[in-house]
Amino acid sequence: MMRTIEVFLVILIITGAFIIASFYAVLPVPRRVSPLNLRRLALTTLQVLDSDYSLSSIVFKNPSDPDYEQAWSQLQVALSALLPPNIVYNLTVYAVRGDGEEQLYIPLKSISNAESLGIQSEASSYLVASSNVTFRVIPEKIGNVGGVGGTLYILNCSDARGWWITGYSAHTLAQDLYNLLSSYFQKTVMVQNTNQLAKILNGTSLQGEVVQGAVIINTFGEAVPIPAGYYATQGYDSQARSYAKYCYLLGQRVRLYNFTWVSIVGYPLYYVSNVNLFPDGHNTWGIYGMRDVGPAGLNAFLQGLDGKSYSYNSNWITNDVGVVQLSPTAVYYCNYYGIYPSPRQTATRALSASILTTYNLPESRVVYVFNKVYKNNDWWMPGAVFRHVAAGDNKVTGSFFALGLTRTPDIRLTALGLLCAFKPRLYRSVYTAVDATRLVVLQLGQVGGV
Amino acid sequence: MAGSTIDHMIAMTVFLGAILIFVGLFNQTIQTAILYQRNRYLATKCSDLLDNILLNPGIPENWGKSNIIPTSFGLQDPEFTQYRLSPFSLMRLVSTSGKPVTYPKLGLVCSNITMGFGNFLLVPYTKAINYSLASRLLGVNGTYGFQLTITPIVSVSITKVQSTPVTLSVSVKGAGFPLSGAVVSYCLIIVKPTGGQGQYPAFITQYGTAHTNTAGSAILSFSTINENQDSYVLIAYVHQGGLIGTGCYEHVLNKENYVVPFLYDLGSEGGKVLLAHSWDVHGGDHPAAVTYNATFVILTEDFTLREMPLGAGRVGLLNYGNDPHTYEIITIPTYNPGILVVTYRKSANPKDSGVVLMPWGISSLAFPVIFGEDLSNKTWVATDIRQVLVGNVAYQAKLALWSLEGYQVIG
Repeated sequence: MMRTIEVFLVILIITGAFIIASFYAVLPVPRRVSPLNLRRLALTTLQVLDSDYSLSSIVFKNPSDPDYEQAWSQLQVALSALLPPNIVYNLTVYAVRGDGEEQLYIPLKSISNAESLGIQSEASSYLVASSNVTFRVIPEKIGNVGGVGGTLYILNCSDARGWWITGYSAHTLAQDLYNLLSSYFQKTVMVQNTNQLAKILNGTSLQGEVVQGAVIINTFGEAVPIPAGYYATQGYDSQARSYAKYCYLLGQRVRLYNFTWVSIVGYPLYYVSNVNLFPDGHNTWGIYGMRDVGPAGLNAFLQGLDGKSYSYNSNWITNDVGVVQLSPTAVYYCNYYGIYPSPRQTATRALSASILTTYNLPESRVVYVFNKVYKNNDWWMPGAVFRHVAAGDNKVTGSFFALGLTRTPDIRLTALGLLCAFKPRLYRSVYTAVDATRLVVLQLGQVGGV
Repeated sequence: MAGSTIDHMIAMTVFLGAILIFVGLFNQTIQTAILYQRNRYLATKCSDLLDNILLNPGIPENWGKSNIIPTSFGLQDPEFTQYRLSPFSLMRLVSTSGKPVTYPKLGLVCSNITMGFGNFLLVPYTKAINYSLASRLLGVNGTYGFQLTITPIVSVSITKVQSTPVTLSVSVKGAGFPLSGAVVSYCLIIVKPTGGQGQYPAFITQYGTAHTNTAGSAILSFSTINENQDSYVLIAYVHQGGLIGTGCYEHVLNKENYVVPFLYDLGSEGGKVLLAHSWDVHGGDHPAAVTYNATFVILTEDFTLREMPLGAGRVGLLNYGNDPHTYEIITIPTYNPGILVVTYRKSANPKDSGVVLMPWGISSLAFPVIFGEDLSNKTWVATDIRQVLVGNVAYQAKLALWSLEGYQVIG
């Protein structure tokens, strides 16, 4: 009997041990076992809100701004729209002070959609910098000196097609050029179609800009957009059955308005393109909407630039010179403007130096982007800005920038060449404003369920 | 002596019984704790795997813009950092949601994401990345199953309020709430019933902006549309505070004979799209030849749509059955996300017109992607979510993960 009582005592002890163990061994609620990673969710939410710098712009708004409350209200709407309905949040913005201040983080503003964030919450912080405190560089505007020019036209014609811009479209190249060069010009105008191109060739301003002395960048590679109407009819050489005469007219316009015509890759003006004008014509490589002009295009352009009479000439004036080096001038300006393309490139369409004397492009005025190369008893120029100076004159009447490199184009070389030619100065300054950084903390919690 | 033995036996029996019961009880508690621990590990694995997919572009990094089968799986846009996904890598994933579509003439069997009539994304299985391959490349084959869902955060739904004049209501909602005060930029493409027999359809475009009200909706009215004569499509982009969403609405007069676009090839100089006659894909009544006019539009930084010229085959005639002209292949010369707009009309009757759209990169029409296994009937599924950007459009990426090695603990 005694042993039975002892056993019951043991059972009592083990039961007590189990109860005590169960009391302390509390299993977590399912939400804590398999939680959402709220910290990551908070961070990615802040990143999405700042993807177009909206968040940075709002947190640096001054409370005295008339649209201060509206901006915060829009942020709250966007935040609520981003997060699932069962997520509650608290977003707090802190000003970050410098070393001398007593308090490092000073709360400025807080928004929330709940009084409490539940039993468990996670937070992520995101540091935003004011747009006013970046290292500031103010470029001198091309055209400030001399009183004319200062307009950059980028051909972005939706009704033309490109060639030798493999891997890119004219539109993307135009956007990149805009980003690289627009700050150096008084006004940058995207030429959206060939009708607009015809207007500027006629000297008509598109957006009130100065046409005289403008720079025109042809982003279509070896092709050049051709407007319908006057330029297509007058630009057609019916005897040679070629649009080389259009290139002649282009050369005349470049001379007349002192334009700088830029060819970004390959053989300049080798094709003309207009998808509406040549719906069934192609460049012999299957690209429709363009016609083959061949080397006659560049010869005609140079004739027009030099004021010579038009004569159909289909002789090649380029050569394949292989690997070429950036000129010392270009290397210097790489560092000055912070543009670093590869210093070694392959040139398969380097222009013959004979054009300098034939078309009054004095070598003293040439800006070499790539070193010239001696081959086959002649000098060849893989990339340079040529300036036309009529015989007996000292004034520049039209310029031509040709990069005779092989495809695919590196658009930074175009930008570098133009900057080498115009040499706008850079005024650098460090804008040391106080209250430059703000810390945004987004705290998330879950409600509902277990 | 006998009493002592009986006492001993009863005590021993009771003791052994009690010990067994307690071992069972403690074992239950320990099993549950281990199970919770494993599920906790599954949740951590889910979060890690999601980051692994979203923060890595894969190898080669531009596999989304080519026909290459990747040797490492990841969806990050190689041109960016952080949680930005490539719209073209996502386009190459086999969709779990749609029923496969077959084009028997070329033997194409396609993964299908269709968002109502006229919004197609059909990717041949030969070009697409399937779940099995992705699972192997991620190193979870045989150990974990998963489903990845990429859904747009901003949902833009467009409904017709009245027909004369045509008035459309654009309703904008986020994951939780309507988006009030958002800017709506829209492009209206109207197919015009011009030309005689065999002519290609003409179309005109109209652009504009509006703002959503406090309920997240905006009303747009178009007096230039005659619904009885014109087919049209409205593409709307909505943006506010870093959030961008898109939606479209189509009014089509001819749904019996239309053009079905298939992704055909992803080359280095752009993508090829095959345009086929609907009768050869879906069958139907009263088949007739259609003429079409294809245009590619991209979204610019100021939220307007801009046309990009297409090359050979941008206009043409598609017949059905055994006719030699049953399909056409066109090239989209860019890897910028955009929308292929194909307007069409019955060759014999210009009034029987319509328009179909195909996104070039899933973000341009905010198509969702569901990739992986069906998660119904799976036990203890861990999920995790991230906010991501796909071609500037805000999406939510959700990964559901479960163990394939069983969830029971053997005690």
